[in-house]
Amino acid sequence: MRALILAAMAVLVPSVALAQTATAPASGSLVGPYAVLAAGFGMALAASLCALGQGRAIASAVDAMARQPGAAARIQTTMIIGLALIESLAIYVLVVAMILLFVQPIK
Amino acid sequence: MDAIEHPPIFRLPGIPDHVTYTWIVMLILIGLAWAASRRASLVPRGAQNFVEVILEQFIQMIDDVIGPQGRRYLPLIGTLGLFILVSNLMGLVPGLMSPTGNLMTNAACALVVFVSYHYIGIRTQGLGHYLKHFMGPVPALAPLMIPIEVISHLARPLSLTLRLFGNMTGGHILLAIIFFLMGLQGLIGFALSGSVGGAIVGGIGGLVMVVFTVGFLYPLKILVSFLQAFIFVMLTMLYVASAVEGAEHDAHHGQAESHAAHH
Repeated sequence: MRALILAAMAVLVPSVALAQTATAPASGSLVGPYAVLAAGFGMALAASLCALGQGRAIASAVDAMARQPGAAARIQTTMIIGLALIESLAIYVLVVAMILLFVQPIK
Repeated sequence: MDAIEHPPIFRLPGIPDHVTYTWIVMLILIGLAWAASRRASLVPRGAQNFVEVILEQFIQMIDDVIGPQGRRYLPLIGTLGLFILVSNLMGLVPGLMSPTGNLMTNAACALVVFVSYHYIGIRTQGLGHYLKHFMGPVPALAPLMIPIEVISHLARPLSLTLRLFGNMTGGHILLAIIFFLMGLQGLIGFALSGSVGGAIVGGIGGLVMVVFTVGFLYPLKILVSFLQAFIFVMLTMLYVASAVEGAEHDAHHGQAESHAAHH
C-alpha cells in the first residue's frame, strides 16, 4: 500500500512541477494559474462529452454492422469519418488549451 | 512547447525545423517513387510491387467515393495521403519531428485541398453552375443559404488543419510528458537516488511505464498516424466528390434524355 502511495506521489510530484514550469507566474498575476485550471477542466469536459458522443456513434454502428454484415465496410468508413468529425470538436478544445498553456496570449 | 519537447537532433541553421523535415519527407517519397519506377515492368517486383499495392488502395477508395471519373485526381489525393502518412510516422522516431505537428504544414495542405476542390468544381461544372450550388435548392432561401454555405466552406480547411495538428501535437505532448515522468526527475531519478524504497518504486514504476509506452502508447500513435492520414484523404475525396457531383448528375440526366429520345 505504501508503495502504491509512493508511486502515486512519484507520478504526481513531477506533474505539479511541470505545471509550474509551463506557466511561469508573471508578476503576481492570477491569469496564469487560472489558465492552467481552465485548460485542464476544459479538456476534461471536452474529452468526457466527446467520449459520450463517440460511444453513441460506435454503438449504433456496431448495431448496424451486426444486423447487416454485408454493409460492414461502408458502415465502418462512414463511422470513422463521423468519429473524426466528432473528435475534431475535442481537438479544438485541445488547441485552445495548448494556446492557453504554451502561447499565453493573456499573461 | 519547447519547455517539454526536445528540439530535433538534425537542424539546418536559419531554416525552421518543420521545413527541414518536410524536405526529408519529400526526399523519402521521391526516393521511393524513383526506386519503384526505375525499372518499371509489367510483372512488378520489389519496390514497384509495394508502391502499386498502395496506389491500388487509393484507387479503390477513389472509386468508392468519387466514382471512376475521379481517378484523374489520384496525383493530388495520393500525394497528400502519402506525405501526411510519412510525416505522421516520422514523428514517432525519437530525435526526429513530424512536419504535421506544426500548424503551417497542415495549413498548407488544407489550403491546397481548398483551392483545388473549388478549381475542380468550377472546371467540371462551369463558374455559374458551380456558384448556383451555394444558393440552395430554392431561390427564395438564397439570402439564408449563401452565408451558411460560405461559412461551411471556409470552415473546411480550418477543421482539416486543426484536426491533424491537434491529433499529432496532442500525441507528442502525451509522449513527452510520459518520458518526462520516466526521466531523471521522475521514476529513473527515484531508482537512481540510492535508497532501497526509491529503487523498488522507481524500478517497478519505470518498468510499468516502459511497458505501457511500448505496448500501448506507441501502437496507439501508429494507429492515429494512419487514421489521420486516412481521414484527411477521405475528407479531401468527399469535398472533391461534392464539387464534381452536380456535373455527374447532369451527365446522367443528359444520357437518360438522349436514351428517351432514341426510344
